[in-house]
Amino acid sequence: MRDVSFGQYYPAKSFVHRLDPRLKILFLIVYIVAVFMSKNFYALGACAGVFVLIAAFSRVPFKSLLRSVKAVLFILIFMAILNLFFYRDGTPLYKPLFGWEFTVITKEALYYTIFLAARLFLLVLGSSILTLTTTPVSLADGIESLLSPLKLIRFPVHELALIMSIALRFIPILTDETGRIMNAQKARGADFETGGLIKRIKAIIPILIPLLISAFRRADELGDAMDARCYSGSKVRTKYKKLTFSWRDLIAAFIGLSLLAGVILLKIFTAAII
Amino acid sequence: MEAIKFEKVYFSYENDEETEKQDGLFDEGSYALDGVDFTLEEGEFVAVLGHNGSGKSTLARLCNGLLTPNDGKITVFGEDTQDSKKLFDIRKQVGIVFQNPDNQTVASIVEDDIAFGPENIGVPRKEIGERIEFALNAVGMTEFRHATPARLSGGQKQRIAIAGVLALKPRVMILDEATAMLDPRGRKEVMDVVLRLNREEKITVLLITHFPEEALLADRAVVMHKGKIVLQGKPEEILTNEQGLESYSLALPRPVKVCRGLAAGGLPVADGVDEESIADNLCAALKSRFEISQTEKENEPIAVLQEKDGEIGKIVCENLSYVYNAKSPFATFALNGVDLQIEAGDFFGIIGHTGSGKSTFVQHLNALLKVPTAEKKYKEKKPKKGAPILPKTILKVNGFDLTDKKTDFRALRSKVGMVFQYPEHQLFAESVFEDVAFGLKNFKKDVADEELKAAVKEAVETVGLDYEEIKKRSPFELSGGQRRRVAIAGVIVTKPEILVLDEPAAGLDPLGKAEIMSLLHKIHADWCKTVVIVSHDMDEIAENCNRAAIFSEGKIVAVDTPKALFEKVDSLSALGLDVPFCARLTEKLKTRNVLLDNDYTVDGFVRAALSYAADVKTKGAGMPLTWNTEGGGNNA
Repeated sequence: MRDVSFGQYYPAKSFVHRLDPRLKILFLIVYIVAVFMSKNFYALGACAGVFVLIAAFSRVPFKSLLRSVKAVLFILIFMAILNLFFYRDGTPLYKPLFGWEFTVITKEALYYTIFLAARLFLLVLGSSILTLTTTPVSLADGIESLLSPLKLIRFPVHELALIMSIALRFIPILTDETGRIMNAQKARGADFETGGLIKRIKAIIPILIPLLISAFRRADELGDAMDARCYSGSKVRTKYKKLTFSWRDLIAAFIGLSLLAGVILLKIFTAAII
Repeated sequence: MEAIKFEKVYFSYENDEETEKQDGLFDEGSYALDGVDFTLEEGEFVAVLGHNGSGKSTLARLCNGLLTPNDGKITVFGEDTQDSKKLFDIRKQVGIVFQNPDNQTVASIVEDDIAFGPENIGVPRKEIGERIEFALNAVGMTEFRHATPARLSGGQKQRIAIAGVLALKPRVMILDEATAMLDPRGRKEVMDVVLRLNREEKITVLLITHFPEEALLADRAVVMHKGKIVLQGKPEEILTNEQGLESYSLALPRPVKVCRGLAAGGLPVADGVDEESIADNLCAALKSRFEISQTEKENEPIAVLQEKDGEIGKIVCENLSYVYNAKSPFATFALNGVDLQIEAGDFFGIIGHTGSGKSTFVQHLNALLKVPTAEKKYKEKKPKKGAPILPKTILKVNGFDLTDKKTDFRALRSKVGMVFQYPEHQLFAESVFEDVAFGLKNFKKDVADEELKAAVKEAVETVGLDYEEIKKRSPFELSGGQRRRVAIAGVIVTKPEILVLDEPAAGLDPLGKAEIMSLLHKIHADWCKTVVIVSHDMDEIAENCNRAAIFSEGKIVAVDTPKALFEKVDSLSALGLDVPFCARLTEKLKTRNVLLDNDYTVDGFVRAALSYAADVKTKGAGMPLTWNTEGGGNNA
């Protein structure tokens, strides 16, 4: 944690990195909708095409993308196995092994499974492009801006954004602190690595209590520092940073909308697998 | 014009339900501020001194309405701080920079954080940009505008905190021990900025500090004790007032101690606070060839129990390297081929900047960081053909081989105690007894009650606390200094044979520092074979250690006695490190052709100077009588 920025962010200055975070969030939503609306491999292929295009322009190395897939690989395999054996309709690919009916995999099951897996892959990869190319800070800015219409119904958007910002700011500090406290207790013979569940939970107490106390102390001091800098959360507050749309965002918005339109057209004119 | 004026101000945390005790050292029910009258003139630079819990921080927080007085009146440029309508006007005028650099920034990007203040008071966008530029420029951090505070050094973070306050264009800046958590380099950075703001931007400064060197930069010094202002005057006068300082639990600064020592030995050197003037005065005194009485006693050198044989208490380290974030674009060598041998009986010092690798090294000593070959997962690989054969790492601590994964690391940790920076932050238990007992219970699962009680009692008493009085109390209701002692007791309860401490005295007032160091010497003399301290304070190293190592960029650049290390003032300065005061003074004397061979402690320096004077008296002509008070000249 010492030198690496937290989250997945991959620092670079690509076309995708420079897009407005709001647009990226909206784009991701459109993309997810498109993937879910895809009913056959043509539509999914269109989504994959858009994904490859964006991935190529993001200059994020393929390895980093794969890492995000690794996290969901287990779920993916688990789901695939369930699907393969529980989808019973259609033409069997081979005769039952040892005379057991449930060992049979049907052609349709195989298609269906591959389709689902591909869909999940695309979802995970698409979301990770967002987190890989957007810093948590600008993500928070983007969310704040997208939520700002809610101010009309007195939803505390600004406070929420400030909470997000402070939380992001303190994640590395508290992570470091946790490391320090763990080391201090380890040096006093604490053991976090062996033993049953209850023993391990008990072993956390000597970390948790100092960490909580420190978090409260920090919160107290931060509160004073904010007070001293005239924070009142009032309406006079101005905002220094404004998110602005650029030509890049227009291009990206165009791609996103054409993707959606394409998938809808494919949905109308081609047969569905599911 | 009066910037801030206190009139008979009383303040107690007891009566204020919203706030808690800040310092916790004052008696129950007493006032944190007890009838304070105080004026800060516009443009002035005032330093506030006082031991922990004397009411300094309370004073700071009252100045901009973070706290309001129970009785009396505080006005800021004529406005009463109790007038809630004027609160923001007052806070705009009076900015505060706090102690902990991490707890003052709200945003993850420097410019966003500096914008926070102006945003709060509704400054238009365009002007915020200008203010950010002005503030960053004023603290010399312009190129860090888009940086992340988490990755900056302590000094840089504090400068950002100052910039955040400056963006509100205040007329008064209060620094509440803002340098206490910084290393010497960071301290200097911050003080340079503060001085410049005062001189050039004409900002009034109220500096709360433990460091006499910082107080000396001020126009006026104020001493607080038990909520009262007890001394006021020129910093030079306050800091040479031995009686005054002592009765308020403060210590004389080292330069003054040197002068007093010389005077007591018969060399009349007027009190001075900087090496230049002391060197001049000392030369003048020597020149008058004063006769001294040979009453000085031979101080024995720091006792060293050299036990060359046997491995208990010994640390042997060869070729130790450590890479953070290996296999990533951020890979950095924290240690790069470190060779070091620490003998049993050493009181060893480790010196170096933040980030020089010293903490990483120290964490290897009790296997909190492990050498790759000691990791559980490690499997020996057959060396590839043509691959360079890496030199073998050796790390032996107290007879344990730390490169072998079969080593009993728990047994090692019970014998090699480790006290981290600010150890009081690791306390967690309900009572002092439970907390101190934690380590022993972990290492010895079947420890008998009687044995446990005896061990805890001994540990608590060793650190100078009253066992019966304190054992049932919660560690969190103790004062800062007491908490640190309890934390140290929690480590020494297993009677480690090697004790490693990272900045054991950081953040304490001078008296507290001295107490911790004498505590360590007691442990070292009684039963702990080897003590290793990591410190930024070179005087501390010179006064306490028999040997020391200097770390720089993951390597050891020198290992020697402090005397030999600090002789090379130039090479240390090149590494950006401080030298002890007496080493600077000796250096100044060298330019005046007075060579004093000493160990750079106050006592050692005084001894050397007195015997030099005696030699001048007896041998006369044999000595280089070419003193020149201008420095560097030939004849006198």
